[in-house]
Amino acid sequence: MTATPTAPSTRLRNGDALEEIVRPQEGLISRRIFTDPEVFELELERIFGKGWFFIGHDSEIPEPGDLVTRPCGIDPVVLIRDDEGVVHAFLNSCRHRGMRIARTDRDNATFLKCPYHGWSYKNNGELLNAACENHYGEGELVKEELGLIPVAQLGSYHGLWFGTWNEHAPPLDEWLGDMRWYMDIIFGRTGGLEIMGPPQIWEVDTAWKFATDNFTDNFHVFSSHHSLVELGMLPNNPDFAAYGHMIVPGNGHILHFVQGEPGNDDYRGLGLSHDLRAKFDEFLTPEQKSIADDHGYSAGTIWPNFHWLQLISAGDMEAHEEAFLNLRMETPITPTRTRMWSWLAVDKDATPEYRKKVYETYVRTFGPSGIFDQDDMENWEDCTRANIGPAARRYTLHHKMGLKRATATDWPGPGVAYPDSYGEMTQRSWYAQWLTSMTGGNGNGRGA
Amino acid sequence: MSQLETAGTPVLPNTELYGRVLEFLHREAELLDTYKFDAWLALFTEDIDYQMPVRTTRFLTDGEGFEDFGLMAENHASLTTRVRRLETEFAWAEVPPSRTRHFISNVIVEQDGDSIEARACFMVTRTRQDLDYQMYTGQRVDRLVPDGDSFKIARRRILADQTVITGTNLSVLF
Ligand code: FES
Ligand SMILES: [Fe+2]
Repeated sequence: MTATPTAPSTRLRNGDALEEIVRPQEGLISRRIFTDPEVFELELERIFGKGWFFIGHDSEIPEPGDLVTRPCGIDPVVLIRDDEGVVHAFLNSCRHRGMRIARTDRDNATFLKCPYHGWSYKNNGELLNAACENHYGEGELVKEELGLIPVAQLGSYHGLWFGTWNEHAPPLDEWLGDMRWYMDIIFGRTGGLEIMGPPQIWEVDTAWKFATDNFTDNFHVFSSHHSLVELGMLPNNPDFAAYGHMIVPGNGHILHFVQGEPGNDDYRGLGLSHDLRAKFDEFLTPEQKSIADDHGYSAGTIWPNFHWLQLISAGDMEAHEEAFLNLRMETPITPTRTRMWSWLAVDKDATPEYRKKVYETYVRTFGPSGIFDQDDMENWEDCTRANIGPAARRYTLHHKMGLKRATATDWPGPGVAYPDSYGEMTQRSWYAQWLTSMTGGNGNGRGA
Repeated sequence: MSQLETAGTPVLPNTELYGRVLEFLHREAELLDTYKFDAWLALFTEDIDYQMPVRTTRFLTDGEGFEDFGLMAENHASLTTRVRRLETEFAWAEVPPSRTRHFISNVIVEQDGDSIEARACFMVTRTRQDLDYQMYTGQRVDRLVPDGDSFKIARRRILADQTVITGTNLSVLF
């Protein structure tokens, strides 16, 4: 008799069902899911073992043999361009005893040689030599079967490489779905982007979901970053980031396009310099161009943990505002500790002067030392600490803003759009996908 | 990124100049640890170039791993903004403020004409609210220029030991 496949249990050990404690349609999310080790174990299996994850960008590995070491989900991979120029993502672990094969953050390698017993792999993953081969008997070492373990699927869009450990996951293009149309606006607007420098990496004592939740939250800005209001670097208007739209394109992906205060022309053309904006005509459809032209800010999330922030800011009180594009990722380490990754992307055709300004503005405002970003980490840590206790975890968090918000009728792009960039519609759609992934078999069912 | 600005003549610990540099660095540390941020800011020249590069793990043949990309990339205006921000009541990462201790050691002083290079190891401990210690360690490479009978800092490189910053954020000053 063959066993009938069963959907994963949605009951936690104490009998609570995930559907009871996470109710996105009502805007009620249990505090428990942020800190409970049992929920975290399920997330590793059902989200980080099954979804698509950002690994790196083409421009980080331009030459044959170039590699960077990164997580895919939470498993370590080496993203490497082989001698033929083909990009691979392999589990960063030797087939013999599992030793870490690529042991630096970046390198250029024709071969990856394992330090432990000396097995060596070509940069396309094939096992070339094993040490002491003469001591293996017939059939004991089948080299063809012992190449480095590739991710189950690898795909890219606009040079962004994503991998999944799930051979049953929908192909990347299908999973990104309507989000690709918006990724064109951010990543394809001027014909291509490149990453400047290595990522900044740091660790925060937070549940990874607090960092994720924060990236589609525009209305924290006036309070969390109020020091910048005091310094005159942000408008003294609590509604200043509300002028815009939020969009739910499906599969848990979410985004915002924000116009900024009416009448301020800086907040147009994504804040890019005029020579770069001129390229919109060439690379964007009229509908995409109209969105790029009309907005200054954008925040996007590719389900579950990869984000962009297209932002305009001054780097200090004396400086003029510059646009920059920040890419972000959260990798959980424990239920309450998270590794943050932050990259700066710039349009390939940007001038050296523009790059310098963008770089300085970004580093001074975002990333671990950024005068905006610092305060976000304070929030995520305190949210985590205050939600961990047995009393707190009996209660829910409040995600009800805009429960009855009508959709926008005149939005030119795909997905469900809402007028106003303040609201928790996008957060609720993220938690809906979370619930679908945690309860829906292969972890890739469509959320609301 | 090269650590060393100049390869000057060593200034020995038993000299008056070495003693003045050491005292300057100790006083600077005390200003930071007692929240005298304006006095600290006054130690920098108007054209201060203050950088904390990202460090990556690299093989020995590829250098020390410091990249042309920063965790901090500051000039006088941006350092001033950081200090002004701390004076608001809303810089939440430092409100209420962290308690820090800047330990300065292994001071090496070299002189090349008017220009003085001071290299020092640092350990900065930080605790805030009721939380445990966080720690940042590394080397600072400073170029000092004479200012009366003291100095001003014209260039600072903060060379972290960590590739992954484990101190929540870099809201404390170095
Ligand atoms: S673990 Fe890699 S050769 Fe043994
Ligand atoms: Fe924020």
